[in-house]
Amino acid sequence: MMTYIVFILSTVFVVSFVSFSSKPSPIYGGFGLIVAGGIGCGIVLNFGGSFLGLMVFLIYLGGMLVVFGYTTAMATEPYPEAWTSNKAVLAMFITGVLAELLTACYILKEDEVEVVFKFNGAGDWVIYDTGDSGFFSEEAMGIAALYSYGTWLVVVTGWSLLIGVLVIMEVTRGN
Amino acid sequence: MNPPIFIIIMLTVISGTMIVVTTSHWLLVWIGFEMNLLAIIPILMKKYNPRAMEAATKYFLTQAAASMILMMWIIINLLHSGQWTVLKDLNPMASIMMTTALAMKLGLAPFHFWVPEVTQGISMSSGLILLTWQKIAPLSILYQISSTINPNLILTMSILSVMIGGWGGLNQTQLRKIMAYSSIAHMGWMTAIMMYSPTMMILNLTIYIIMTLTTFMLFMHNSTTTTASLSQTWNKTPLITSLILVLMMSLGGLPPLSGFIPKWMIIQELTKNELIMMPTLLAMTALLNLYFYMRLTYTTALTMFPSNNSMKMKWRFECTKKMTFLPPLVVMSTMLLPLAPMLSILD
Repeated sequence: MMTYIVFILSTVFVVSFVSFSSKPSPIYGGFGLIVAGGIGCGIVLNFGGSFLGLMVFLIYLGGMLVVFGYTTAMATEPYPEAWTSNKAVLAMFITGVLAELLTACYILKEDEVEVVFKFNGAGDWVIYDTGDSGFFSEEAMGIAALYSYGTWLVVVTGWSLLIGVLVIMEVTRGN
Repeated sequence: MNPPIFIIIMLTVISGTMIVVTTSHWLLVWIGFEMNLLAIIPILMKKYNPRAMEAATKYFLTQAAASMILMMWIIINLLHSGQWTVLKDLNPMASIMMTTALAMKLGLAPFHFWVPEVTQGISMSSGLILLTWQKIAPLSILYQISSTINPNLILTMSILSVMIGGWGGLNQTQLRKIMAYSSIAHMGWMTAIMMYSPTMMILNLTIYIIMTLTTFMLFMHNSTTTTASLSQTWNKTPLITSLILVLMMSLGGLPPLSGFIPKWMIIQELTKNELIMMPTLLAMTALLNLYFYMRLTYTTALTMFPSNNSMKMKWRFECTKKMTFLPPLVVMSTMLLPLAPMLSILD
């Protein structure tokens, strides 16, 4: 199972995305996001990115999703729409899960199924060998490079975050 | 909008496009597109009515989907080639899908459905930015990948765009929708020549931006948004009436005006590459565009449109709107044809 762990995590990742894309009330959608965040962390961890995976938990789930949860709690409605309360939401959820299951079967049974072209091998989804990370982990080196050689990228990213806040405030100003 | 915020937001729109145009790293391309998109949303929503909100939402959704497709194929290209440089040859499948994503951003057929609706829902000045500045970034990326674009895909999209731009604009009376269909058609012309001579695409883009800028400014001068309102300009600002006449004919691509230069060059380059049916089709469907420009000219400058008598006697006030650079723009959009021999410096 460990060889297929990334594949399994990716499949569940997509299913959790389907769970909030089928548009239930944001509270239930937030639950889907939490699951997706945790699974995303797992996928990143499997590629050796321990720091970034835990960053997902800390900043994304522990910071942004908490704020999202509080704002959703401020805007609750008396009868929130769950996945089973509305036929449209349930239908979309089932469609999404079915599509994902069919894709998963298409990927796993590489030699027997041909849709438009035969699938090319599970490739990066399957870890046969964790590889040699040398003396330094690639991911830590990447983060170090971001803050040394990648100063421009930090400037652009920081500016984009600032603009994100300003844009949201302009959009919700409403007068 | 609060002036300092407006300046910061415009700065981000401009730097987003500049990042896309000047970078050699695919990740920065995507970042530039997203910065541009994020910052232009409040500009589209300048007026707080539901129509503008809906237009901004539609724009955001289509552009975000296109950016996501672009990002996915950037990563798949990275998987196959192992590097992030923009100017290196693309994996063929990645090239097809990136072209599709960039066509969604430009509003090429069959991804043109958002252009008229978004342009109509926003104010005239936002529409101006949408139809001119926002075309620069995707076209610059298409310029950079032009050597690996699949010809079938791009030529199909281009012919469809010119046809849809022509036929779609025929039944319109709202000026913003007319300009939107005009934009779709011009994008079709630009992408037709992209594979054979990307320089001509830049020429077409430049002249198109100058002409569209001028057109929007002339419309904004009297705050006209419909054909009926435009037909009263003879009474408000007679000079604009004659300028609209010349400008519409330039947009339609008639010699001896500037709008003829790109069409001429494009047809010449296409025939040099042994395509005959394609420029014939493009030229014939561009006549549909010319028809609705001519209709605007007719109602504005050549006839007195039906109106009641009180509308025929208006006070003439001085225009309080800031029409930056309008006279030079008008000159550039109509009188550049004698400079066409300068294009020989490209050889």
